[in-house]
Amino acid sequence: MNIMESIKSAIYSVRVNKMRSFLTMLGIIIGISSVITIVSIGEGGKNAIMGEFEEIGRSTIYVRVNNRADNVKESDYFTMDDIEMLKSKLPEVTAVVPSFGFYSKVKIGQKSRDMSIETTTEDYFEMANIDMLHGRPLNTRDIQSARNVVIIDDKAAKELFGRTNAVGEKISTKFGDVNLNLTIIGVMKAPGGDVAEMFGGYMSSIGIMPITVLDRIVNYRLGYMAVKVDKSADMTETAKKIVRLLENYHRTKDVYYAEEGFKELDMIDTVMGTLTAVIGAIAGISLLVGGIGVMNIMLVSVTERTREIGIRMALGAKRRDILLQFLTESLILCLIGGTMGLGFGIAMGNLVGPLIKVKASVSPSIVIIAVAFSSAVGIFFGLYPANKAAKLDPIEALRYE
Amino acid sequence: MIIQIENLTKIYDTGSIQVEALKSVNLNVEKNEYVAIMGASGSGKSTLMNIIGCLDRMTSGKYILDGEDVSKLNDTQLAEIRNKKVGFVFQAFNLLPRLTALANVELPMIYAGIPASQRHKRAKEALERVGLGDRMHHRPNELSGGQKQRVAIARALVNNPAILLADEPTGNLDTKSSIEIMDIFESLNNEGVTIVMVTHEADIAAHTKRNVVFRDGEIISDNPVKNRITRETRI
Repeated sequence: MNIMESIKSAIYSVRVNKMRSFLTMLGIIIGISSVITIVSIGEGGKNAIMGEFEEIGRSTIYVRVNNRADNVKESDYFTMDDIEMLKSKLPEVTAVVPSFGFYSKVKIGQKSRDMSIETTTEDYFEMANIDMLHGRPLNTRDIQSARNVVIIDDKAAKELFGRTNAVGEKISTKFGDVNLNLTIIGVMKAPGGDVAEMFGGYMSSIGIMPITVLDRIVNYRLGYMAVKVDKSADMTETAKKIVRLLENYHRTKDVYYAEEGFKELDMIDTVMGTLTAVIGAIAGISLLVGGIGVMNIMLVSVTERTREIGIRMALGAKRRDILLQFLTESLILCLIGGTMGLGFGIAMGNLVGPLIKVKASVSPSIVIIAVAFSSAVGIFFGLYPANKAAKLDPIEALRYE
Repeated sequence: MIIQIENLTKIYDTGSIQVEALKSVNLNVEKNEYVAIMGASGSGKSTLMNIIGCLDRMTSGKYILDGEDVSKLNDTQLAEIRNKKVGFVFQAFNLLPRLTALANVELPMIYAGIPASQRHKRAKEALERVGLGDRMHHRPNELSGGQKQRVAIARALVNNPAILLADEPTGNLDTKSSIEIMDIFESLNNEGVTIVMVTHEADIAAHTKRNVVFRDGEIISDNPVKNRITRETRI
């Protein structure tokens, strides 16, 4: 008996027992669809995060002072002069964003709230995708004159003032033991966007103020800058140039290091990939249960059709033919179940995805893996029943009532 | 010679006791013979039938079927012999209930690897030969007992076997249908088909040309039938 005849016969037998076939497939359908749902949402989530970081990551170099280096001196830390120097010496650098953050309590009357305050320059708004809701972002004058101004996010505004438009209001905070009174000049959409939403909006409120205000009042060490580079520039080469320029400028060595943004991107990619794989594998356990269901029904089917097996053997079916017949049946069951599960999983992904603000994404490789995996389940769990059928004694099988 | 059996012994070993079902049986069947194997239940006739049909193996002895020594063949080779050289007709018909008459008749050809178009043609011809040309798309449960057995005969003959083996072919049939089947066997035998039939009914055995009687695993008589019942003698 050739493969085509086996397939025909298997499809026929699946069709004859429609209800039972469907119930058998159900395990596979649930297994494959849950794997597909999870993997497609995971993939979609990864794409969303990557998309958000991509724009920044692929064109950003992070420059740090290695504060663990033995030879690091006070004068090695960054100042506004460094920023000007990098901008003027390297035409491919489009923005240099110093960033010094501190965590502080912000007070307004009786109300207070924790806020992460970022001190930076106007370039910050060029690098990060920030949606201004009210007022304006930082400008050059704010930085040059070290104005006591701040931009806060809408969540903080709402909490502190009961409305998002808090432009003109004043807040007070502390850096160390120095009091700071700041005027709100703008309100922005809480950063993090869809990614923050995905993690339940778990991101503290932030405020952005001119770094030059700190220069005026305290002694601090700026050890971190983000440098935005023109897309056409060679990132690795530019990173090297930046380090060399800083070393020359500060007359030091082995203190600075520069990292290209996409390295972090690769890390996110790996982390998300692993996460999806782990959850997918857990969902895969349901596929295993489904496979056991298939094996169970196939065993019942072999017992039920003992006489048929005997007749087929009497008519000249070789053991191999019987094995192939039952194996094909199990394979067809799992393949149909797998295909239905695939469709169902894609539908579920598209249904559940929007609820958690993720666009489910199904890559061709997932489809291939799903089909291959359900086939493997079919063959693996079909092998034992099929082998049992093939080993039957023709005379006893013929006598079976 | 179609069947040549020498010193055939079959012992069923059930562990504690050994049952000798056949005790050095010698039997030859020539081409175009029509033989009835008779005997009470437990006489060994069904065991012999299974061995002749290559469903079972002998314990010792020699069996040559249509010029081929089948004593030492493996499972796969025996399946091929069953497919090409033996046509079975059973008491319980043994049609596959989910398949049409035509599909049932096609089964042996599927295992012989005959292409589909040729299968349909030959299955149709075989069904027409047993007078069921108008019933080929019916399932077994839509056919009478006699019709079922005729489908089984068509199926047994479709690969042009060397021998037609019938095991109590009329056991589940009424008298009228039994006579129909015997008439078909008679015509087939006249056309040159070699038939070996197991039965315990003397009036059915009387339709054959030779009666071999078994008792306790041995042949106790082997005689030509004197007053053979044929289509003509019945009228």
